[in-house]
Amino acid sequence: MSSNTKAAKQLSAKRIRTRNNIIVYIVLSVLAFIWLFPVAWIVMTSFRGEKGSYISTFFPKTYTLDNYIKLFTDTSLLNFPQMFLNTLFVAICSCILSSFFLLSAAYCLSRLRFKLRRPYMNMAMILGLFPGFMSMVAVYFILKAVGLTEGNGVRLALILCYSGGAALGFQITKGFFDTIPMALDEAALLDGCTRWQIFTKITLPLSKPIVIYTILTSFMGPWVDFVFAKVICRANADQYTVAIGLWKMLEKEYIDSWYTSFAAGAVLISIPIALLFLKLQKYYVNGMAGAVKG
Amino acid sequence: MRKKLSAPRVLSRREFIRLSAAATAAAAGGALSGCSGSGGGENVRLMVWSPSLDQAKDSGEWLQTCCNRFAELHPEWDITFVYGVVDETAAGTTVSQDTEASADVFMFTNDVLNNLIDAGAMAKFGGIYADEIKATNSEALLASLTVDDYIYGVPFTTNTWFMYYDKRVFTEEDVKSLDAMLAKGVVSFPFTNSWYLPAFYFGNGCTLFGDGTQEELGADFGGENAVEVTNYLIDLYQNPNFIVDADGSGLAGMRDGSVKAIFTGSWDAAALKEILGDNMGVAALPTYNLNGEEKQMYAYAGSKAIGVNVHSKYMVQAIQLAIYLGGAEAQQLHYDLRTVIPCNTELLADPAIANDELVAAQNETFDRTSILQPFVASMTNCWTPVENLGKGIRSGTITHENAAEQTKAMNDAMNSDGIS
Repeated sequence: MSSNTKAAKQLSAKRIRTRNNIIVYIVLSVLAFIWLFPVAWIVMTSFRGEKGSYISTFFPKTYTLDNYIKLFTDTSLLNFPQMFLNTLFVAICSCILSSFFLLSAAYCLSRLRFKLRRPYMNMAMILGLFPGFMSMVAVYFILKAVGLTEGNGVRLALILCYSGGAALGFQITKGFFDTIPMALDEAALLDGCTRWQIFTKITLPLSKPIVIYTILTSFMGPWVDFVFAKVICRANADQYTVAIGLWKMLEKEYIDSWYTSFAAGAVLISIPIALLFLKLQKYYVNGMAGAVKG
Repeated sequence: MRKKLSAPRVLSRREFIRLSAAATAAAAGGALSGCSGSGGGENVRLMVWSPSLDQAKDSGEWLQTCCNRFAELHPEWDITFVYGVVDETAAGTTVSQDTEASADVFMFTNDVLNNLIDAGAMAKFGGIYADEIKATNSEALLASLTVDDYIYGVPFTTNTWFMYYDKRVFTEEDVKSLDAMLAKGVVSFPFTNSWYLPAFYFGNGCTLFGDGTQEELGADFGGENAVEVTNYLIDLYQNPNFIVDADGSGLAGMRDGSVKAIFTGSWDAAALKEILGDNMGVAALPTYNLNGEEKQMYAYAGSKAIGVNVHSKYMVQAIQLAIYLGGAEAQQLHYDLRTVIPCNTELLADPAIANDELVAAQNETFDRTSILQPFVASMTNCWTPVENLGKGIRSGTITHENAAEQTKAMNDAMNSDGIS
């Protein structure tokens, strides 16, 4: 009798677990479907054989690679390879610069004590409340005054734009550095390390997750930015970034013949980001957790 | 020197000659010794902006060809051209953003003319230049570029939309009436696009800003006549042979054969030619039957023109280049290379061009079935309310019961400066 009830209880517990699992999986599948739906759609559109911006069926009737080939060969109107290289160059340079700025600023604010430390942090907090593009027009005129709005200067101008404000976004990184025990720094100081050596030889190696998080975010910003690039590039078509190029493809004169290539371009620019994320995913999560555990 | 050149906004030819003579004298006197010309001519640097299609190799490099020909015509100047890519619509914002760092010569659509004037960007054409423009263009076209009696650009094409249809389905008689067409085949119309939808309202006596320039009169899209149109539109939407054209669905419908007529402009001509081949028919707008009466649809029409930046250092050359780029020779080349429909009256008289169906349809639309798209500042309030009406009918929130009230709401919104 008692063993019977036990077995029945176990059975019902098992049943409840199975039932819960089924519900959870159904919900997750629905969510995954909703999330992946647009991605799947754009990938399919990029391989679509039929022209035009609109089709009446969800699945393309014919598949082709021509949209990708067109992107890289039909360069007289919209030079996608050039835009891709421009964007890559700008993104890599600003990524290096702004990661350096940001990590340095975070380190200083976490480890050094100086008079302007509090005021600086407050200022950064307040400035951070304003959206960046509020200063867009002012930034444009400053860059113009320096002569960076024409020719190859545009690239430099974009790099400056994207990395200039990096030191204001130190909060998360500083929080991470704060979790590294001060004792480590003190020991290093006693052994004769300079501040720079502590930063490069102790703090950074202990902070791989946050360093990678910083690199990721500072690469993403310039890679996908549209607003600043549009304001600064103006008529310099040879300096266009991918974002502007893709936007151009949707103008009424181009949309019919370029729409599928637009999708192909969108898939292509998502590849570097996707790869970076896949490779660095575990750090990305750890970045939020703190340096030295247990 | 520079100030003197850019300060006068209306420059007649005599002034130009005086100024250019002064410039030459200054150059000879060594004031500008840093930039003496190589070929003996005056060194001139002209920045020119156009859409990328005008500069692409695949479409014949219209701009480069024309600029080089212009340079050949003027051996007295040693001109360096700098090309930039800004299309006619974007010129409104890009030039206004920073007029001093904008091109000397650029192309724009006339609906952004007021923005450009407000930004202090536009040079006026005066003297013999104005006469030359007036001599080769129609009154209506000139009106689209005239503000306070000054001409602000050299028109090179008209900008409007008309009808493409499948000749296998509709006869030339059918395409005169929308209702006759709906009885025979599927028609698609950009119902939720406020550049197209007002065509029905204009047909029944609604007006915008009086004759288009009287801003104080406001929009007249209210009243009994407007309500009649709204009711017609509700019925039209429910007609099984009517399909709303949005996000390219009309063109896609033509491609798969489910749509037999669409309303769009010359930019889709190449795609439609590819789809329909010899069966492509082009026509001006049809009439529609409102309570037993035939009413003509009227499209918004405007122009695309070549403008000159008032801040140009080389005003004479810039103005002359603009005149050349908008002249008959350049228009002919534009037509040959990119099928940009000419507007020069001499060219239009040429039978080779006049017999082109597309040219005929666009020009007939411009002359007969269009109204000049107002470019007064208040016009910006008129787009969203009309679009919302179209969307309201599509979603079913606007019905015969509330048509009067909703039409009034649209009219109120069009006449209000607030965000609606």
